[in-house]
Amino acid sequence: MELYITAFLILALFAILGSGVWIGLSLAGVAWIGMELFTNRPVGDSMVITIWGSASSWTLTALPLFIWMGEILFRTKLSEDMFKGLAPWLDKIPGRLLHTNIIGCTIFAAVSGSSAATCATIGKMTLPELKRRGYPDDISIGTLAGAGTLGLLIPPSIIMIVYGVMANVSIAKLFIAGVLPGIILAGLFMAYTIGWALKNPEKVPPADQSMSFTQKLYESRHLIPVVSLIVAVLGSIYTGIATATEAAALGVVGSLIIAAVQGDLTRKTFSESLAGGTRLYCMIALILFGASFLTLSMGYIGLPRHLAEWIIGLHLSPLALIVVLMVFFIILGCFLDGISMVVLTMGVLLPTIEAMGFDLVWFGIFIVLVVEMAQVTPPVGFNLFVLQGMTKKDITYIAKHAFPLFLLMIVMVLLMYFVPEITSWLPRHMEG
Amino acid sequence: MRNFLDRLFEVTGYLAGLFMIGTLLAVLSSIFGRFIPALDLQGADAYAGYCMAASAFLALATTLRRGEHIRVTLIINRLSPAAYRWLDMFCHLLALAVSTTLAWYSIRLVRQSLAFNDVSTGLDATPLWIPQIGMAVGTTMLALAFAVDLVDVISGVKVREEPKDGEPAHIE
Repeated sequence: MELYITAFLILALFAILGSGVWIGLSLAGVAWIGMELFTNRPVGDSMVITIWGSASSWTLTALPLFIWMGEILFRTKLSEDMFKGLAPWLDKIPGRLLHTNIIGCTIFAAVSGSSAATCATIGKMTLPELKRRGYPDDISIGTLAGAGTLGLLIPPSIIMIVYGVMANVSIAKLFIAGVLPGIILAGLFMAYTIGWALKNPEKVPPADQSMSFTQKLYESRHLIPVVSLIVAVLGSIYTGIATATEAAALGVVGSLIIAAVQGDLTRKTFSESLAGGTRLYCMIALILFGASFLTLSMGYIGLPRHLAEWIIGLHLSPLALIVVLMVFFIILGCFLDGISMVVLTMGVLLPTIEAMGFDLVWFGIFIVLVVEMAQVTPPVGFNLFVLQGMTKKDITYIAKHAFPLFLLMIVMVLLMYFVPEITSWLPRHMEG
Repeated sequence: MRNFLDRLFEVTGYLAGLFMIGTLLAVLSSIFGRFIPALDLQGADAYAGYCMAASAFLALATTLRRGEHIRVTLIINRLSPAAYRWLDMFCHLLALAVSTTLAWYSIRLVRQSLAFNDVSTGLDATPLWIPQIGMAVGTTMLALAFAVDLVDVISGVKVREEPKDGEPAHIE
């Protein structure tokens, strides 16, 4: 009987979501039905207490601040500066300026929590510059779509905060754990670009005028603002001076200072970034509210416990479970955005993950990687949407050229599985 | 009436922005309070949380009216205009029901916190009904916004939104 009701609830959830009801409200609605069916508790009071608790929790305060910081930086000349500072160094590597996409995204990811924002901020500079110099569209768009996803893996990261709050894992630890996988993944992307360039040398335009070493070094001064911001934010977390939330506050102040120094800080850009950040946070918060209530309701139904018992009864090897979950998330990611995917599944999955003996920090990085893949898979992938808006190319065209990078992300998951130290080494050496 | 409500949603959205600044200031006070005790608010953590909550709830309505709350449009966007309108009406009705319930119980929460004299367990010892007002006001605005939206859909003012060019969604 309970099994039927649970199956009915899951079907109802997907039907309501699929019909186009706002995600946060769909979750709350289904949670309500579930609680009404399975408990005698006062549903409405439990709902608002749960939502109030999650809305005002201290750990979550990092989220709106990092979102606001991203909105401020999006409105500065930071990406322009980064292109100027990076380009002279990359002209000698096979693939030349294509690497500005990858390294640009890697660096910007270290001050931005979002994949789509990273993609948009770097792309608005590199895409026109690469086109002007005659780089083929397919490879510049493909590498940008893939590298943009590093915005999630390299801290700060919105999705890591969401996961950390759901799974009750230290956000600072998650952030630091994402650094090495992020750099390795960026390395894989660069290796792919080099391989492509060696195979198609005729498609790579000639280098710009070469500069002397001192000239290059002088051009690098443009990187100083972004690097100091990274040091302030990530450095303060790694050394234990600041919590993730405090680092976020420092980041907001730092980006305001950068904007002011560059002369981009007007009353208009300030209020635009504030309003944009507030609404973007509000959008995510509504999903989180619905999810917190759904998690409560699922707990009463006992779904997480039953699922854990069932999966453990299957005697899957950990690798098999990871592969199954990866396939499941890739399919889910075709229809849902990353945040909804994480909040929807974590409440149910966590007991299983703990019972199977996975480290929750490791698993968090795994989830972030899988969400990254979802960003570049059609029909729902936010990096694809962003690039569609910027290039006017068809979404399947962009997805096709991002596909090799998608495969590299799968390689990265396997690498992380067999060498878990990639995620655990840095957090172990953190202070505080 | 509609214009008045839209103005009201703008005002609460504006307040949400101020509370976002409040969140920042509360966190900053806890950082700098370590060095300069005069700046240290007792229980800054809790104040940051209250400001964040108020910011999220108060922005709900204006975010909805700008079409920025996320929904799965995969199926609905492939329908004919007439079918789209019917399904959109269904979505709005369901959303109106959920948001009204949320508003109803949020107001009830404020009244109960007041009646039972609920006080925060943190250092701040704030009577909880005060920050919870933000939740009650914000969710009420959201329910009103859904009502206005529903009227717009029925009267044909609001039609399918075409994806905007240029302006990238900064989501995630």
